[in-house]
Amino acid sequence: MKERIRLALIGCGAVARIHHLPAIARVAAADLAVLVDPSLERARELAAKYRPRRVVRDYREVTDEVDAAIVATPNYLHAPIAIDLLRRGIHVLVEKPMALSSQDCEQMISAAQENGAVLAVGMEMRFFHPCRFVRQALSKNLLGRIDSFDLRAGVVSNWPSTTDYFLHKKQSGGGVLIHYGVHVLDLLLWWLGDCAEVSYRDDALGGVEANCEMKLRLRAGASGTAEISRMRKLRNTCLIEGEHGSLEIELWDPDGHVYLKHGDDLVLNGCVGAGADATRESAPDVFLRQLVDFVEAIRQRRAPFIPGLEVLPAVRLIETCYASKQALELPWMISWPDQNGYQRVA
Amino acid sequence: MSLTNLALSGKHVLVTGGTGFIGSRLIERLAIEENAKARVLVHHPANAARVARLPIEMIGGDVLNPADVERAADGCEIIFHCAYGTSQDETIQRRVNVEGTKNILDAGLRAKAKRIVHFSTLLVYGVTADGDLDETACRKPFGNTYSDSKLDAERLALDYIRRHQLPVVILQPTAVYGPFALQWTVRVLERMKTGRLILVNGGDGLRNAVYIDDLVSAAVLAAVKKEAPGEAFLISGDSPVTWREFYRSYEQMLGLSDRLVNLSASEAKALYLRAKKVKSILSEVRALVHELPDLRRRLLSTREVAFMTKSARRLFSNRVWSRLKSQISVYGPTAAPADVISQERSHLLDPATIDFHAAKTRVRIDKARRILDYQPAFEFSRGMQLTERWARWANLLGPTHPALCQPTRTDKLAAG
Repeated sequence: MKERIRLALIGCGAVARIHHLPAIARVAAADLAVLVDPSLERARELAAKYRPRRVVRDYREVTDEVDAAIVATPNYLHAPIAIDLLRRGIHVLVEKPMALSSQDCEQMISAAQENGAVLAVGMEMRFFHPCRFVRQALSKNLLGRIDSFDLRAGVVSNWPSTTDYFLHKKQSGGGVLIHYGVHVLDLLLWWLGDCAEVSYRDDALGGVEANCEMKLRLRAGASGTAEISRMRKLRNTCLIEGEHGSLEIELWDPDGHVYLKHGDDLVLNGCVGAGADATRESAPDVFLRQLVDFVEAIRQRRAPFIPGLEVLPAVRLIETCYASKQALELPWMISWPDQNGYQRVA
Repeated sequence: MSLTNLALSGKHVLVTGGTGFIGSRLIERLAIEENAKARVLVHHPANAARVARLPIEMIGGDVLNPADVERAADGCEIIFHCAYGTSQDETIQRRVNVEGTKNILDAGLRAKAKRIVHFSTLLVYGVTADGDLDETACRKPFGNTYSDSKLDAERLALDYIRRHQLPVVILQPTAVYGPFALQWTVRVLERMKTGRLILVNGGDGLRNAVYIDDLVSAAVLAAVKKEAPGEAFLISGDSPVTWREFYRSYEQMLGLSDRLVNLSASEAKALYLRAKKVKSILSEVRALVHELPDLRRRLLSTREVAFMTKSARRLFSNRVWSRLKSQISVYGPTAAPADVISQERSHLLDPATIDFHAAKTRVRIDKARRILDYQPAFEFSRGMQLTERWARWANLLGPTHPALCQPTRTDKLAAG
C-alpha cells in the first residue's frame, strides 16, 4: 500500500490536542481526514490548526472515508467504537485502557482478526527506551530468577483533561487503578510475566479510588507490592530483585534513569537510548514512534508493537482487583467518636 | 458517627471549594458520617480525585460565574461556602473571595437556602492584641490581599443577613492545620526542608490553631443549630500553643532541630525592610530554585550544567574549585550558612505578620461552645500526631522506601 493512510481522530480532548495531532502532523504517510467530537466547537478549534478534510460529531458519518482511526474518547467508549470500526475493516489505535473489561478486549481482538484489521493499543510507556531496555535485560535473564519487586507510582496530576470522565465510574471504569495503574501494571506484567494471585485494597467509598495497593504473586514465582496514587507523590520507580542482582527504573519518564546492579558490580546507572546516536526523548517523540508503528503495521500487514492480545493480562488483573476489592485505610479517615461526637479521640 | 443525630441525613447540601482541603474533609464527613446528599462545585477536575472517592454529585463550574453557582445551588437546602482565591494574581484572588461570595449569597437567596455556612477567618480582626479575643472585637484590615478581601466578603455576608434576613452563619477559624492543610502544614514542612523559619521573640507569641476535623465539626453544627443564623463564631482548638511549640512539632516530624531562627520583632522587621529594598531577578530565581527541589534537581541534571561543571573543574585550581562548590551547595538542603539572617532562604515575614506572631492573643471559643455546642476534640498534641501520620503517608517527611536511581542524579554535582 503506497497511498497515505486516511485517518480519523475520534475524541478531541487533551490527549488528542497535546499528543496525537502533533504526531499526525509529523507523519507524511498519515493523512488526517476527519476530526470527530460531540462538541463541534472543540473539534473546529483543533481543525483550524491541523486542517482535516472534515469535522463531524459522530464517527459513523465517515466510516466510508477512512482507512484507520485513533480512538481517544472517554474509556467506556473505547470498546463499542473500536469493535464497530474493526468490523468495518478499519484499523484502530485505541487509547489506554484498551477497554473496561477483558470480555470487551476479547471482542476487540477477534473483531480485528476476523476482519484483517490492525488493533494497536496506546500503552505508550512500552515505547520508552528505558522500559524496553528492562524488558530486554530481563528476557535475556540478566538478573536470573526474579524474587521480588516493589512498584510505587503516585502523581498529583495537572493533566488538563477536557472533561471529568476520569472521576466517574461509568465513564472511566474506575479510579486511579485503571487511570494510572493500567500503564504501570502493563509494564510490570510485560517485564515479569502474568500474575497468578493478587490481593487488592483501595479507598473508594461509593465513588472511584484515588489510592490503591496490591500484593501480587506472579506465575514465575516472584512476589511484590504495587502502590498507586493520584493524591500524592510517591517514589515513582519500580524495583526488581533477582538472584544475580537488582534494577530500578524511573516510571513515567521517556528519558527516565535505570539503575542496574549485577553481582557487586555497578552495570548501569543512567539514561538508556536507542542506536549509536541515542538522544534524549520526550513525550512527543514517543507518540510519533507509536503512530509510525501503527502506520507501518497497516502498510506491511504485520502486528503492531503493542497488539491487543498483549495488553489483555493487565486488563484482566485490573478486573480481578476490582472484583476482590478490600477497604484501604487512610490515615486521616479516623473513625468518629460516639453519638454525641464529643468523646475525645484516644 | 453523626454529630447531629443525622439531622442532615438525606438533605441536599452544596459545598463550594469542595476540592480544597477544608471542603474535601467536610465532604467526607457529610457523606460518610452525616449521610447527607452532597454536591460539589468542581473548578478543576484534576483536583477532585479525593472527593470523587465518595458517592457525591460533582458539578463543573466556577464561583465567579453566577450561572454555574445558581445551577449548583439549585435544590440545595444548605450551602457550605469554602471556596477562596488561590491565584497568584491578587486581582483574581480578591475577585474569587468577594465576587464569589456575592454569587453564593445571591444563589442562596434565589434557591431559598435554609442555611449558608460561610468560611471566613480570624484575620478579619486584623493584627490582634495581647489578651482575650472574642467576636465583639472590632473588624479591621490586616494588610494583605487574602485577609482584606476575606474581610470584604464577610461584610457582604453580614449585609445579606441584615438586608435579606439570609440565614448565614459565619465561621472565623484560626490557623487550620492537619492533613492536606496547605498553609499551616504542607508549606511549613516544605519551607523547613529547604530553608528556615523565623521565630519572632523566641516564639513566645501565641498560636491559635484548630485541627481540621474540629473545624469541620463546627461547620456541621453550624448547619443545624437553631440559634446559629446571623451569627459569627470564632473557631479554634481548646487553648493556644506558642509559635515555638507549633513550629517545633513540624521540626520534630522532619527529625530536624536547626530550622528556626530566633529574632526579636524589631530584628525581623529590619530584615524584612532590608530585603525589600534590594530585590534582583537573580535573588528571586535563586529563591525559587531553593523552594522547588524538583526544579533544582532538573536544572542540575541538564546537559548544560554538567558541561559547565566539567569545564569549570578543568579551569580552576582545587582551592578555587572547592570554594565554587560550596557556593553551589548553598542551593542544597544540607548547607549550613554561618549568617542565616542574610540568607534569602529564611522565609521573611512582613511587619503586620511579625506583630501577629508576637501577640499573645487568646481566642475565646465560648460563643461557639454555647450556641453551636462546639467542643474541640483534638488537643494540639493529638492533632499533630495525626498530622504526622498523614505527612508520612503523603511522602512529605522524606523517603520511606529504597530509591536507588534517584540520588545518583541529584548528587551528580555534589559528588563531582
